[in-house]
Amino acid sequence: MEFFYREEERRARRRYRLVLLALLAALGGAVLLSFGIGYYPLTPGQVFRAFLSRFGYGGELQPQAATIFWRIRLPRILSAVCIGASLAAAGAAYQGMFRNPLVSPDILGVSSGAGLGAALAIFSGAPGWLIQLAAFAGGIAAVALTYLVSRRAAYTQTLSLVLAGSMVMALCNAGVTMIKYVSDPNGALQQITFWLMGSLTRASLDSLARSAVPMGVGLAVLLALRWRLNLLTLEEEEAGSLGVNVRRCRLLVIFSATLLSAAAVCLGGLIGWVGLMVPHMARALVGADYRRLLPASALLGAVYLLLMDGLARSLLSLELPLGVVTSIAGAPFFICLICKRRGR
Amino acid sequence: MLLEIQDLYGGYGGRDVVRGVSCQADAGDILCLLGPNGCGKTTLFRLVLGALPIRRGSVRIDGREVSSLPPRALANLAAYIPQSHRPVFAYTVLEVVTMGRASHFSAFEAPGTVDRDAAFAALEKLHAAHLANRNYAALSGGQRQLVLIARAICQNARVFLMDEPAASLDYANHQLLMDVVRELAGQGYCVLLSTHGPEDPVSVADKALLLREGQAVAFGKAKEVITPQALEAVYGMEMDVLTVHDRYGAERTICLPVKKP
Repeated sequence: MEFFYREEERRARRRYRLVLLALLAALGGAVLLSFGIGYYPLTPGQVFRAFLSRFGYGGELQPQAATIFWRIRLPRILSAVCIGASLAAAGAAYQGMFRNPLVSPDILGVSSGAGLGAALAIFSGAPGWLIQLAAFAGGIAAVALTYLVSRRAAYTQTLSLVLAGSMVMALCNAGVTMIKYVSDPNGALQQITFWLMGSLTRASLDSLARSAVPMGVGLAVLLALRWRLNLLTLEEEEAGSLGVNVRRCRLLVIFSATLLSAAAVCLGGLIGWVGLMVPHMARALVGADYRRLLPASALLGAVYLLLMDGLARSLLSLELPLGVVTSIAGAPFFICLICKRRGR
Repeated sequence: MLLEIQDLYGGYGGRDVVRGVSCQADAGDILCLLGPNGCGKTTLFRLVLGALPIRRGSVRIDGREVSSLPPRALANLAAYIPQSHRPVFAYTVLEVVTMGRASHFSAFEAPGTVDRDAAFAALEKLHAAHLANRNYAALSGGQRQLVLIARAICQNARVFLMDEPAASLDYANHQLLMDVVRELAGQGYCVLLSTHGPEDPVSVADKALLLREGQAVAFGKAKEVITPQALEAVYGMEMDVLTVHDRYGAERTICLPVKKP
């Protein structure tokens, strides 16, 4: 019997390693693919030469190819990878913490807060870096408000957080609508609407670098804490009796998931569904244990968003907003999910 | 004494739900908490587990004051076994049992081979090793309860608190669970369990604590404490306690409500 369980353990570990390798390979493939597709298609040979051109090799090459590779597609691809991984990791963590598989990273109002911050900055004519900063600050402020309000509510902590979150979300959305209403229809309004759709067109290496720091911090904390995330899926009292400081643990998770999603939103706008559906796909691949689920979710999120962005750029002759593409892909997935749950 | 509760007061907000309860239990003892809903059984558990602040009196486990211990140290003394619940995510049984090891390493560490072996050994102790790789959510209520007991065993605490373990079980599984509880006591654990069955203490427990409105009506050896008078005081209805012999000649106790015709 003991042999049997060890054998099963080994099999699970082997399977996990295999999944990670496959995901890494898929990520590599998706990156190569993404360099090639777009308004100005590049062949794999051109991509390779454009890459080498920076280092003085590469031979004959149209000058646009190098510019497209380094100035347009590289920041965009890196942004898609970072945003996808961040949203998926934050979503996986929140689904465990709220003990609800239908939770997404913006449950505490981070996206709405970021939207309000961005709308305010655009309305007052701020430059791009300030819009990004305002969105980030707005997201953090919204979650902080949610957290503070929830501490005064007379329900269990998770329910209080959900209630406070929906209140903050409603407030921020009303603020955004108000700003849109008073904005110049030919200037700020267009820009706000476009920002809220979610897109990677404005990604640059500078904006990516600004978002990468909070993303790195958030992901590092979540990864270090990932086995404890399992314990947060228990009732508060039960987890406490196992020796876990539940409130401190939850606060750490909220902190890092907020850093991740705020940094993602301020880089690419509102890109929905990734944080909700990717953890489910990862769970189907590696099981529920967060020790395996969190790394797998992050990798899968990166691959998924990269592919979605590829679709957004190549589906029609004009580029589709990425947020729209992820929603179109996400809604049927969600319907499948709830139908399967009812059938069980 | 492994568990000593002395003149304990505590509750929610400013209101005391448990008022002046004292009781003791030693290794190998089963102590049954009996009383109607709202009599303070769950509150008493929360106070023992440090989930609620103690307002007056003391709870000592192994001679150490519970209120002065950090969560991890307390987890090594007392384990809580909730009613079997259905989890949201599909963990394997071994993963659930391994969660009992959380107090054995720091927040940024994960369980290793030692911990998984401890989890497996705990399952073996309950003759449930064959469940190790099954999906916990797909088990029956009785099996899930067994898994939660295994989790408590690998936590290495010596005092077990079971909050109405029978509430979500069917009749046969309830009886089987009581056998497991007796086995645990035989292995030197001290089991504190709350129940709605007035016969549970006499058939299982060494000791019984009868609660009404947060106060102890009676505490002592179950055979001596479970009397018609005590049960009437607790439940507010006329009760008989009968001693009968089953088909194998064993003496059994039955409690039943009676009504004047």
